[in-house]
Amino acid sequence: MDMSLSLSTLGTASLTLAMAVCVYAMVAGILGARRRDARLQTSARYAAVAVFMAMTTAVLTMQTALLTDDFSVQYVANTSRLASPTWVKVVTMWAALEGSILLWAWLASGYAALAAFVSPNNALRNWALVILNAVSAFFISVNALVANPFTLVPNPPLDGPGPNALLQNHWMMAVHPVLMYLGFVGLTVPFAFAMAALITKRPGSEWMQQTRAWSITGWGFLGIAKIAGGWWSYEVLGWGGYWAWDPVENVSFLPWLTATAFIHSVQVQERRRMLKAWNLLLIILTFALTILGTFIIRSGIVSSVHAFGDGPVGPYFLAFFLLITLGAFGLLAWRWDQVRDRGELDAIVSREGTFLLGNVLFLAMAFAVLLGTLFPLFVEAVSGDKVTVGAPFFNQVSLPIWLGLFALMGIGPLLPWRKANHQKLIHNLSWMVASAILAAVLAYIFGVRKVYPLWTVAFAAYNFASIALLLDAGVRPRMKATGRGFWPVLGQYAQESRRRFGSIIVHFSVIIMALGVAGSGGYRVDEQVRVDLGGTVALDGNYRLEVVDRFMEQTPARISAGVIVNVFNGNRQVATLRPRINAFGADQQPVPTPDVLYTAWQDIYLSVAGTVSPDQDFVVLRVVQSPLVAWIWVGAVIMGIGTVYCLLPKRRLVPEPARQTALAGS
Amino acid sequence: MADYHPIDDHPIEGETNFDNPLPANVSASQHAARRSRKTKKLMYGLAGIGVLLIAGLFIYQALNTSLVYFILPSEYATNASLYDSRRIRLGGIVEEASVRFDDQALLLNFYITDSVERYAVQHYGTPPELFRENTGVVVEGGFQDGMFVSDNLLVKHTEVYEAPEDGKIDLDMLRESLE
Repeated sequence: MDMSLSLSTLGTASLTLAMAVCVYAMVAGILGARRRDARLQTSARYAAVAVFMAMTTAVLTMQTALLTDDFSVQYVANTSRLASPTWVKVVTMWAALEGSILLWAWLASGYAALAAFVSPNNALRNWALVILNAVSAFFISVNALVANPFTLVPNPPLDGPGPNALLQNHWMMAVHPVLMYLGFVGLTVPFAFAMAALITKRPGSEWMQQTRAWSITGWGFLGIAKIAGGWWSYEVLGWGGYWAWDPVENVSFLPWLTATAFIHSVQVQERRRMLKAWNLLLIILTFALTILGTFIIRSGIVSSVHAFGDGPVGPYFLAFFLLITLGAFGLLAWRWDQVRDRGELDAIVSREGTFLLGNVLFLAMAFAVLLGTLFPLFVEAVSGDKVTVGAPFFNQVSLPIWLGLFALMGIGPLLPWRKANHQKLIHNLSWMVASAILAAVLAYIFGVRKVYPLWTVAFAAYNFASIALLLDAGVRPRMKATGRGFWPVLGQYAQESRRRFGSIIVHFSVIIMALGVAGSGGYRVDEQVRVDLGGTVALDGNYRLEVVDRFMEQTPARISAGVIVNVFNGNRQVATLRPRINAFGADQQPVPTPDVLYTAWQDIYLSVAGTVSPDQDFVVLRVVQSPLVAWIWVGAVIMGIGTVYCLLPKRRLVPEPARQTALAGS
Repeated sequence: MADYHPIDDHPIEGETNFDNPLPANVSASQHAARRSRKTKKLMYGLAGIGVLLIAGLFIYQALNTSLVYFILPSEYATNASLYDSRRIRLGGIVEEASVRFDDQALLLNFYITDSVERYAVQHYGTPPELFRENTGVVVEGGFQDGMFVSDNLLVKHTEVYEAPEDGKIDLDMLRESLE
C-alpha cells in the first residue's frame, strides 16, 4: 500500500512540477524577450529541459505502475491486466486517453528541450521556445487538470480488464501511435518557429530554413504512421482492407495533406521568395488540424477504436483549437503587410507553377475530406437526420485529385524555376506521355479494364519516365565532363544532390503505393466460403485452400480458437495459415484474427467468420484476395528511406577542382 | 522591438534577386510589363474562381449521392420513396423466432423491427458472434422488392430493450442506442 501510494503521488507530483516549470519557462521566455535579458532567456531554455525531465519521471512512474500491476493507480486499474505479456503492459500506456496524452505531452516536452539546445541562437529561438512550451503546457495540463492517469484508487481492484482487445491483438500498437505523435509533435516545431517569425516581425525564409529538418522529419513520421495504421487495420480488423474513410483515418490524413503541401511550397519561398503568407498559412493549418483531429476523435463525437469515451477532454481540446486558430491567424492578419510577396509568378509552366497547383490540389483534397467527415454533424444539427458519408464520396472526390497530383509530380521536377524552355518541355512530355499510353495499352491488353486502375498505370509509367529523364539530365552532363561511367557518376550525383535524390526516391515510392492502391482497390475479391473440415475450395487465380483441422491454443493472456488452412498454388503448397478468434479475458468480446499470405502479386487473406466450435464440422472463412496490396507496405519502407536520404548531411567525396569541372559541364 | 530586417533579401548564389525585380529607373516597356502582369493576375483569379465553382458543384453532387441515412423501420415506412433509390443503414431489433441461416448458401434471413414496423432482411454471410434474437442490429444496404438486402451487419448492445414491458419500444432511445 505504501509503495502504491507513492507511485500515485509521485506521478501526480511530477505532472504538477512539470506544469509549474513549463509555465515558468513560458513567462521567463516572454520576459526575457521583452527585456532583452539573456539570462532569463537562458533560464527558459534550461527550464524546458527541466520540464522534459519531470515528464520523463512521470512516464517512468507510469511504466513502473503498469509493470508492477499497481491497480491503485487509476489508469492501471482501468486499462491494464495481470495476465498481459510484458510488451502489452508497456504499450498499455497509450492504449487509453490519459496515457496517450501523457505520451504526447512527454514527446512534446522532449522536442521542446531538444529545440532549446540544437536551434541556432537567434531572434527566433526564444519566441519559438515560448510557443513550444505553451503547447507542452497545454498537453501537460490536460493530464494535470482533467485527465490525470495517476489518480489514486482508494480500494484497488485485484485485476483490471486490460486494453481494448483490438489493440493488444497486434504489435503494431506499440509502433503506430508513437510514430503518429512523433509526426504531430515534429510539425509543432516549424509551427512554433513560424509564430516566432510573425511575433518578431521576421517573416522571411529564416524560420523555415531553420526548421527544414524538423518539418521533413515530422512529415515523414506522419506519413509512415498513417501507413502503419493502415497495415494494423489490414492485419487486425478482418475485412481485408486498410483504409475505410473512417472519420479517424480522415482527420489524421488532413494534417498530412497540408504538411505535404507545406514541404513543397517552402521550396518556392526558398528559391523565389514567393508564398510567404501561404507557407505560414499552411503550417498554421497543419498544427490546427492536428488539434482539431484530436478533438474530433477523442471527444467521442465520432465512434471508433480511437474514441476513448466522452469526457471533459473534448471541450478542452476544442477551446485550445479555437485559441490556436484565432491567435495564429490573427497574428498572420496583423502582420499582413510584411508577409505580402514581392516576387511574382512569371509563368504557370514552371517549377513554382506546378508546386502552386499541387498545393491547391492538396488543399482541395483536405477541404473535401474535412467536409465529408464533418458533414454528418451539420446534417444532424440542421435536420436531425442521422447520416454517414459513404466511402464513394471520398473516392469520387479524392481519386481525380490524386491523378492531377501524379500529373504534376511527373512534370514539376523536370521544369526549371521561373520559366520553362518549351522545346525541352515538349521533348520531356512526349517521352512521358508515350510511356503512359504504352503502359495503359499493355494494361488494357492484359485485362485491366477499370478506369482508375488504368489511369494509375498510365501515370505510373509517365512518372517512371519522368524519373528516368531526371536522372538522365543529372548524370549525362557529368559523364561527358568527367569521362566516367554511368554508375560512379550516378553515385556521385546522388551524394551531391541529396535533396533532389531523396525526393526522387519518395516520388518513386508514391508511385509504387499508388499501384498497390489501384490493384487492391480495383480488383479486390471478398467472399465468404463454407468449407468442411478436410475439404478444399478453389480460389481465383490458381489458388486452392485446404482446411486441415481446428485448433485451440491458450496462453495466460488469451484463448484462441482457429483453423489450420493449407494454401496451394497449383499443386504446390505455398503456406499454412492459421486464422483464429482471440479472446482476451472474460470482460472483452472475442476478436477475429486474420492470417495473411503475402506475395508480390496478390495476398491471400483469411479470417474466420462466425464461430469455430467442436459441434460443427465445417467452418466459414472470409477470403479476401487483394492484388498488389503488399506494394503499399513496400512503398512505405521506400518512402521512409527517401525521407531519411533527404535529411542526410551533404558529403563531398570528390575533391573541389574535379567537382567544379563537373558542374561547369552541366 | 527591432525593425523589420528582411534577412533573406540576399540572393541565392548564381540567381537574380527576385525581391526587387524592377530597378529604380523604370522604362515605358517595363510599365507595360507591369500592366500585362496585372491582366495576368486577373485572369488567374477568374480561372481560380471558375475552378472553385466547378469543384463545388462536383463536391455537392458527390455528397448528395453518397449520403447514407440511418433510419428505423417505421421511418422507412412513412417515407419509403425517399429511401428506395439510395443506400441506407437500417437499425432495429432482431425479431424473435425469425432467424433462418442457410449454412450452405451462407444466407442469413431475419425480420428487423422497431415494434411499429417490421421488414425482412437478407444478409450474405454468417451471423456475427453476438448476433441473437432480440438484440439491436444495424444493417447496411438497400430495399429490393420489399426485402432489405444487406452487405454489412453490425450487432449493437441493446440489452435494455430485450423485454419491453408493453411490447412497445421507445423509438428515440432505440435510435440513440443503435447509433
